[in-house]
Amino acid sequence: MDSIFDKIDIVQSLWPFLLKGLWSTFKISILAIFFGSIIGFCLGVTKTTGYYLLTKLINGYLHILRGSPYLVQLYIIFFVLPSLGISWLQFDGFTAAVVSLSLYTSSYVTEIVASAIFAVPNGQSEAARSVGMTRFQTYKNVVIPQAMKLTIPPMASVYVIVIKSTAVLSVIGVSELTRQGEVAIMRMPGDIMFIYCLIALFYFLYCYPVLRFSKWAEGKFGSVGEVDN
Amino acid sequence: MDWLQHYFNFRIVGQYTDVFIAGIGQTLWISGLCLILSLIFGTLVALGRLSTNPLIWRPVAGYIQFIRSTPLLIQIYLVYYGLPSILPIGNLLDETQTGILALTIHTSPYFGEIIRAGITSVDRGQIEGALSVGMTPRQALFNVTLPQALANVMPPLLGQTAVLIKDTSLLSIIAVFELMGAGLRMFSETVIATESYVTAAVCYLLIYSMMLVISGILQNKLGGKAWQAN
Repeated sequence: MDSIFDKIDIVQSLWPFLLKGLWSTFKISILAIFFGSIIGFCLGVTKTTGYYLLTKLINGYLHILRGSPYLVQLYIIFFVLPSLGISWLQFDGFTAAVVSLSLYTSSYVTEIVASAIFAVPNGQSEAARSVGMTRFQTYKNVVIPQAMKLTIPPMASVYVIVIKSTAVLSVIGVSELTRQGEVAIMRMPGDIMFIYCLIALFYFLYCYPVLRFSKWAEGKFGSVGEVDN
Repeated sequence: MDWLQHYFNFRIVGQYTDVFIAGIGQTLWISGLCLILSLIFGTLVALGRLSTNPLIWRPVAGYIQFIRSTPLLIQIYLVYYGLPSILPIGNLLDETQTGILALTIHTSPYFGEIIRAGITSVDRGQIEGALSVGMTPRQALFNVTLPQALANVMPPLLGQTAVLIKDTSLLSIIAVFELMGAGLRMFSETVIATESYVTAAVCYLLIYSMMLVISGILQNKLGGKAWQAN
């Protein structure tokens, strides 16, 4: 029984510390999904307009972001961009985290938005055009409102991917949940397993409801295909 | 080319060619082994998840949910630091073996969910037909259900394999030498970030484009006339 009280003591002393890390994880993931969605939405809509050169460019962007690990992208944004000698590219850890995660997120969002727009039946936009709407009006009033509903379930999955990717940020010293755990382990090296289990629990409590929501939304709104993470 | 040398020094990268080639080999070897292990273990996970016995499918479902809701990095740490304290064999595994174990534990549920979708996509009549011509349930599973299931889910399996190859980069954090480790070694020896990390990224993109070519060939083969006929 003694050891259980020990563990409760550890939890009590680490609680505010880990909570701070969780708050940081939350902040970074919200900012990343916000900016990533904006970039991804613009690129996804552009991809469906069918301009050859633009589509090729966006596909190249997607291949680069999907083809390299997030860890490498993070290193490039945190270590390589400052060495170019441009003053506004000298990111600190937090900014580098948000920028790299936003770009990484945008690669997922672009494909989701594009496939959702393609999933709207062609007759919808043809009908809109035939009653005299311009192409812009067709997109704004007919196609995009229908497509947005389809993006909800996969977007929740992407949010889980973003949350899980924030763990990697500990390698550049951003004080998010994993990093706070590592610092805690430096203070209490004997309880390494317990602390990692505690962090895993934090992540689980954060991600699991979002995954359940994604599953529920899939039944309600339909889906445009699984997101592989 | 002089202005380019200012940003990207090819000569130094040239000195490290063999390190990066070794890194690519190591990444391919590790991810190949993980792929085989995860396919085997993932099939078991899928079969366990499809079981009607709650004592089997509930723990399997819990395992899947746990893996899907926690970051890979934490799972690697749990295996890397946890295994030696729980099991005596933990001390016998070196970093690479621990990494392969952790990656297999991480990837199997994803493969399992894909294979499960594949198994449920095979028409019920196929199994009934196989049983009615006198196959045992085991024969029906291995000769009829699984081959069709694997062919049906080839695109997501290939996508997940690409994710697996990218995930091996996280093993560099527990000091496994692979492609990212090659980049980190070059950085620690030369202290030039651009060449080290951009070269690593380019190598990953090379592997990714190879994957794209292979997946195109495979989909042509499996998605060709023979499969659309039935």
